[in-house]
Amino acid sequence: MKLAKTIIMPHSVKIKRRLHISRKLSILTTFSTLVLAFGVSGIFFAMIGLNPLDVYSYMVGVYTSPTLLLKALERAIPIGLAALGLSIAFRMNFWNIGAEGQMYMGMFASTGIVLLHAYYDLIPDYLVLLLMILASFVTGGLWCGLPAFLKAKMRVNEILTTLMMNYVAMYFVDFLIYGPWRDPKGYGFPLSIPFPEYAKLTMIFGEFAYSGLLLLCIAVALAVVILRYTKLGFELKIVGEGIDIARYAGIRITKVITLGGILSGGIAGLGGLAIVSGIIGRLRPRASPGYGYTAIIVILLSALNPWLVVPVSIFFGGIFVAGDILQATLKIPGAAVEMHQALIFLFIVVGEFLKRYKITITREVVR
Amino acid sequence: MNGNTDSNVLNKKFSRRKFLGVTKATAIGGVIAAGVIGGVAGYLAGSTSAPTVVKTQPGVPTTITQPVTKTVTTTASVPVARKLRVGYIYVGPVGDYGWSYGHDRGRRWADERFGVNQVESTYIESVPEAEVSGAITSLVEKGYELIITTSFGFMDPTAEAAQKYPDRYFVHISGYKSGAAGNAPENMSAAFAEFYQLYYLNGLAAGAVTETGVVGYVGAYPIPEVVRHINAFVLGANYAYKKRTGKNIKAHVSWIFEWVAPEKARSAAIALVEEKNCDVLAFTEDTPAVLQVAEEYQKKGRKVWSFSHYSDMREYGPTAHLTGQIANWGPIYLDFYRMVATNSWQTADIWTRIGDYMPYRWRLPPEKSTAGKPEGTVYLAPLNPVIPSEWQLEIKKKYEEMKELIFEPFSVEGNLGEPIRDQNGEVRIKNGERADHDTLWNMDWHVEYIEEPLPR
Repeated sequence: MKLAKTIIMPHSVKIKRRLHISRKLSILTTFSTLVLAFGVSGIFFAMIGLNPLDVYSYMVGVYTSPTLLLKALERAIPIGLAALGLSIAFRMNFWNIGAEGQMYMGMFASTGIVLLHAYYDLIPDYLVLLLMILASFVTGGLWCGLPAFLKAKMRVNEILTTLMMNYVAMYFVDFLIYGPWRDPKGYGFPLSIPFPEYAKLTMIFGEFAYSGLLLLCIAVALAVVILRYTKLGFELKIVGEGIDIARYAGIRITKVITLGGILSGGIAGLGGLAIVSGIIGRLRPRASPGYGYTAIIVILLSALNPWLVVPVSIFFGGIFVAGDILQATLKIPGAAVEMHQALIFLFIVVGEFLKRYKITITREVVR
Repeated sequence: MNGNTDSNVLNKKFSRRKFLGVTKATAIGGVIAAGVIGGVAGYLAGSTSAPTVVKTQPGVPTTITQPVTKTVTTTASVPVARKLRVGYIYVGPVGDYGWSYGHDRGRRWADERFGVNQVESTYIESVPEAEVSGAITSLVEKGYELIITTSFGFMDPTAEAAQKYPDRYFVHISGYKSGAAGNAPENMSAAFAEFYQLYYLNGLAAGAVTETGVVGYVGAYPIPEVVRHINAFVLGANYAYKKRTGKNIKAHVSWIFEWVAPEKARSAAIALVEEKNCDVLAFTEDTPAVLQVAEEYQKKGRKVWSFSHYSDMREYGPTAHLTGQIANWGPIYLDFYRMVATNSWQTADIWTRIGDYMPYRWRLPPEKSTAGKPEGTVYLAPLNPVIPSEWQLEIKKKYEEMKELIFEPFSVEGNLGEPIRDQNGEVRIKNGERADHDTLWNMDWHVEYIEEPLPR
């Protein structure tokens, strides 16, 4: 076993990248980080005078109560779609931090279709939802395709571009909703017109959680097919192994990275559609409370596996609903709930680091 | 190309496929493990806390079909009076010292008057507007029968919940949907404590003390509620300043596009003072940040004034505090408590102003005015003695007149006999007109004395 790179830190702490991550280690780390996360927040709950077991029982209650599980599902769908998009980008070592912005562009596009229909009567009723799905995919895709293209062509750091473009997208939606897209009958409040019934995802099964879950599962299946059984999927994987390897293999890097980016952003754009057309029923400013960022944690915990995105995002949706339940029943302050959620996120990220790097501490001081 | 080769070496270290294969199993294991742990913990906790979860209601035991005979007998032997259960949803943290804090004060006020033994109230704070439906469902699921949502953005989900749970009651604050208005189910009411009259009185105080003749406003969002407050404030400031000096007031507005953002409010306030030469700052932001900025200037010897907003904020700016608008939502909530508890629900669209819910709503002579004392749902914060006494009397006189709705800020009388014009010079309120509810709720124009255009 040869270590390719050793970072030597003062006080003789060595961080080495692991060449091979054993299954045992991997399971152990994920397991123990989750246990630790709940354990440590348990200590905090005990410190503010609560029985941690009470807290956990209410949290589990979210997954066992049908109505609450539905709410968890609702939140899981945009998170899951964004995470699914990320799974494609991360697979080719494209660190897309921009799912949030791509979701906003998805919201923008789907609302645009509704307004085209409602204000100008350009689209027949039965085509509206279909076009919304298409438009949100394309717009979200282009929003991610641009940084992907820039990375492939000019090696522009995608972490910066995708992150910054989040704010552009968010403020762009703000501008529209405080300006030309404001509902003329809405007493001036920053809301679009309510979507007609046939423009809502609820039209399929009545409950958004069901139609959304169907949408998510279809998206997952398509992603799996693309990743496993198409040439593009194979090329994405090779690009992930290393750009130069891919180049030696004769892969057209720019095309593959840009297409991968479009696919990634497009799926996140569907997440935006899920928010406006499924959860809210109209466009409003700041409609996504950071789902695009939560998606990063979700995809880390799912280890880039598309199928795992479904249960993991439901798990996270449940954690958010549990936050409300804990406040309502145990009267835990909102800040404590947020801290508890942040601890879970933090432990997952740290666990991911420990999985990939080995830390050794020796007495001898390295100079 | 150094970095590139480096990353190549890194990438060669282990196979991507193997990595994915391994971590997939881990992740499955992790999720299962979390489930198992959660399950065990839940089982343990559930078994210990079961008695508190089971609701104890008199009269119910006979109808319980559960085989848990033990529980049934205990509930039957210890009948507990049924408590009214009320759940609140706040958009910000209760510690914001502004909007959400104000609602929480209202909750405690109503609880106390209703009888703390008669009511069990709870709240969920810092709920993002896109996630409120989960919070409402949580409260419904946990058996809360009256649910009060306190942000404009909560309106649609509240109306949907009212539709879905016809056996629960819903009150939404600061929106326009209610059974009474005909655009929501009968079990939903709307309520709002209106501040524009108080902002006008703040404006009078501002116009009475300003030396630069320039006033500033830190605004949250350009929605009609905030726009009419700004306009009322500027009209009041112009009234007093023009009467004093014969010159028109100048007003600047800075938007921060947040409800709770003390840092943004701070920098906006500082910019208004430094760049625009404002010496009185009003604001719509849920913390005392702007008042604190004014206080800091006072300590440095520059006279800058500000106000209370929703709560009495005097302690954050003992010198700089002129007066301000304070809300007590308690009386409104108490009304709804009583309706639900006595089964006499009536859907309502409540819009309280000065005079409403006050024990004595007839005007008093200015010398005996109750201005500056807590009363009703909206009232004036104590007046700072630096406001010249003749203007204190004027403020009190108008406050008293507004109790009977004799004086209306958005009328020619509120603008020194002049019609009220917007920034384009177009007359918005003519001679003999008073702004009605719809004019106020749709207000999308600024009065002429404001320099910045309204963002749209």
